Amino acid sequence: MVMASKRGEAHTPSTGRYLETERVREALEAATDYGATYAEVRVVSLTESTVAMRDGQLERAIPGQELGMTLRVLANGSWGVHSTTDLASLNDQIESTTRLAKAVASRRAKGERPIGLAEVPIFEDEHHWKSTLDVRHTELDAKIEHMNDLYRGATGHDDIVSVRTGWSDEHIHTELMTTEGMDRVWSFQRSLIHGMVTARRNGEVVSYRTRHGGQGGLEVIQACDLVELGEQAQKAALRLLEAERAPSGKMPLIADKDLTGVYIHEALGHPCEADLVAAGDSCLDGKLGHKIGNELVTVVDDPTMMGGYGAYPIDDEGVNTRPKVLIKNGVLTEYLNHRETAHHFDVDPNGGARAQDGLHHPLVRMSNTMIHGGKHKDMDALMEDIEYGVYACGTRGGQVDTGRGSFQFAAQEAWLIENGELTRPLKDVSVSGLTLEILKNVDGLTRDASLASPGFCGKGQTVPVGDGGPVMRIREALVG
Amino acid sequence: MLPDGAEDRLLSNADQLANVCRENNVQQWDIIGFQAYGHQLDIEAGKITMAGGGGEGGFGIRVVEDGRFGFAHLVDVSGAERAVQQALSIARKSPKIAGFLLPSEQEAQDVPGRFDAEILNVHPEDLLEQADGVLSAVKGLDERAIVTGGGVGVSATAACFMTSEGILSTGITTSHGIGLQVTIDVDGELTSSYQGQSSRTKMEDVPSCVERAVHWAQVTQNPLRVESGAEEAPVLFTSEGFSPLFSMVVPPALTGEKMVRNESFWSEKMEQQVLHESLSITDNGLLAGGMASGSRDGEGVPRRTQQLIENGRLVKTLWSTRDAAQQVAEGRIDAASSTGSAVSGGHQSPPSTGCTELFLTSSKKGKSWDELLQQMGDGYVVNGVMGAHTANPSSGDFSVTTSSILKVEGGEIIGPLKQAGLSGNLARSLCESVELGVDVRRQGSYSSGSMHLPDVLLSYGLRINPA
Repeated sequence: MVMASKRGEAHTPSTGRYLETERVREALEAATDYGATYAEVRVVSLTESTVAMRDGQLERAIPGQELGMTLRVLANGSWGVHSTTDLASLNDQIESTTRLAKAVASRRAKGERPIGLAEVPIFEDEHHWKSTLDVRHTELDAKIEHMNDLYRGATGHDDIVSVRTGWSDEHIHTELMTTEGMDRVWSFQRSLIHGMVTARRNGEVVSYRTRHGGQGGLEVIQACDLVELGEQAQKAALRLLEAERAPSGKMPLIADKDLTGVYIHEALGHPCEADLVAAGDSCLDGKLGHKIGNELVTVVDDPTMMGGYGAYPIDDEGVNTRPKVLIKNGVLTEYLNHRETAHHFDVDPNGGARAQDGLHHPLVRMSNTMIHGGKHKDMDALMEDIEYGVYACGTRGGQVDTGRGSFQFAAQEAWLIENGELTRPLKDVSVSGLTLEILKNVDGLTRDASLASPGFCGKGQTVPVGDGGPVMRIREALVG
Repeated sequence: MLPDGAEDRLLSNADQLANVCRENNVQQWDIIGFQAYGHQLDIEAGKITMAGGGGEGGFGIRVVEDGRFGFAHLVDVSGAERAVQQALSIARKSPKIAGFLLPSEQEAQDVPGRFDAEILNVHPEDLLEQADGVLSAVKGLDERAIVTGGGVGVSATAACFMTSEGILSTGITTSHGIGLQVTIDVDGELTSSYQGQSSRTKMEDVPSCVERAVHWAQVTQNPLRVESGAEEAPVLFTSEGFSPLFSMVVPPALTGEKMVRNESFWSEKMEQQVLHESLSITDNGLLAGGMASGSRDGEGVPRRTQQLIENGRLVKTLWSTRDAAQQVAEGRIDAASSTGSAVSGGHQSPPSTGCTELFLTSSKKGKSWDELLQQMGDGYVVNGVMGAHTANPSSGDFSVTTSSILKVEGGEIIGPLKQAGLSGNLARSLCESVELGVDVRRQGSYSSGSMHLPDVLLSYGLRINPA
């Protein structure tokens, strides 16, 4: 039934092992004997903590310890998967999971390609990204103190009706063993603080969200001036109370770093995921080597960007990570791949396999995705020749239909641009378009590119990501 | 699928946790435990790509001491002592909520239809048969159509809830679900539609969502060429197109806590007209066969059926025990008590407040699809939107992009648009003339619970911007 760990301690040190290696090797050998061409066992232990406060009062603090294991078997060119919280049940699942894979394979139509895996270097090693201030040793009082800093900055105005603050940190410990002899252990941490400021005036209610976080421990939060972050959120919420409904139509758009990040994540990042390309669900199918954007546009997805919320040391198939240049000067150069899609497209895997936790199998995912900086000095330079347009900032999220190549993202706040100047504040601005059109419409980027606020990406599974870039100008976008 | 004695073992582990609470002299506690087992298949590119299964679960412990509460979750009950100590430590640092006590035992009504023994006997091979049937059905409906994503799955979940106040509830629920993304690509002109369906009981092999997915991928082919330009226009939402916006905006506005904190667009409007006078909203926590209904809520309080908006008038809001106690203690409301609306999101978080099975109904006679089109005259049909999660639940404002939209002139569908911006304020549009269809379909939601919605014709306050 429920988890039967061999260890008595709920918190295993990052240098310890959850998997009994000899037993797992036996299980993997058994998978081979049953006919598997490949099998892997991946276990993930999450030591996590979330805290929620409202108006400076602790609402809830939740420490947790989760453990999950996924057995993945490739037999006759198809996958069988078993996920469980009961590590002790592994050896009992080998035969049935292999049988499952074979049952799927037996339904493959003639002419359909069996699944294969690209070859990768085999490692037996451990990698631990140590935080300066380990999240597992951060006391609740310290978290409350930081959340109160954010609260103090955001409160203190009659129109602010509530300030919610939140905290989330996690220590992720992963172990992977495969029939190919891979035996890797890695760990790292993430920390996040966020706030939601709600303002009300004359029956009008608005809210503004702010976030700061990244890969690492308490030092990530300490590096931010949280009072200032709160003050900015308060000002933004009060501005929204006075904001007008946005104009609607096609017009020039300037996006801040947050929104640029979400744009590139939705519009380009998702269609670059090779599992979607292989499934016929990407508008970028067949476009490798083609010019799909303005030559100003260079886009990188980089899990090695330490500090980014989407950073990770090794992907969930045990492949070493590296930066991936998705677009170079407007030309599509690379998809995001895991081992299966790399085999499909006959390329080397590039470390794009991520799973939400130990109970999910890896999918092709983004990490930290950014547009490189351009040549414009600053935002004023981007704005000076716009007669009528919109400057949009902050993100409320976005969505994409990768097959059709259409996307939508929403800004937290915006301004009207008239004759090169910001004039009136706007609210509820969303932007939509088609990937293959709008990448060509990017006609200005400021020089300074950096990751913006941390985010989360959903694709059946939720994973943390970093997005960002410079301030970006789009010649013509559909604003709603 | 469900191992023998799963429920008993879950209960036995919960007992272990309860004993740790007793040994630590915890004043009040509740324990929630889940163990889910299932099989599922993934479909991509027109074929089954993966078969999976497994079991997962865990426990959440909530402790209450002098009105202060703490919570911890764990998978391995050998860590119970540590988890209880963590929860106690947090409780001691939490603010006191005067009058906050865990609820005592009250008689609860059984809710039938949430378990189907047939599902327990569904094997992976049966799912493979079903998936083959679905793939064939899609091809049969349209040779060009491909299922580019989705899958089918079954699960059985054993759950237990145990409290220091004598509440003990155990049970097994089952579910069967299917979701599929159907794509049609003709000379590079690609259209797609995602549709899903789920049930507590075993569904037919090819449920109705399959035909709907193919239909919407078909009817959005060959988009009209239109001039870009925003216009105010009536919109006929299908149940599937309306649900994402409705569930993002309406259920949060109905929680008592948001209401008294002035965070809901319906704050200070109790007993006032907030929707068109023909409309009512009911939360049926006792719905037979519901995906979110049940005998008891996440705190053990009996669930009930309650009208929240009656003929357009706001008459009731949703409360959990804790939220009610806190808002009374902090003086935002004179009196409030649980409405059996504590929602448990699993073992990893304490209960929050939410709806279960929300029904939007009209006192007017429901209209057929053709009647709705005729009434609309000129306007648009929307079957899917992108970005509903970006709608603002505090204000009801939204600005999204349609993923399936048809243009209507003189009550006739004249063709699809490639896409369009759609914006407005849902709360305000629902105050004006609203017509509902006859066919109510259950939809999942972003927030909590299920939405039971017909097709909805909104005539005012919506702006469409075709691209």
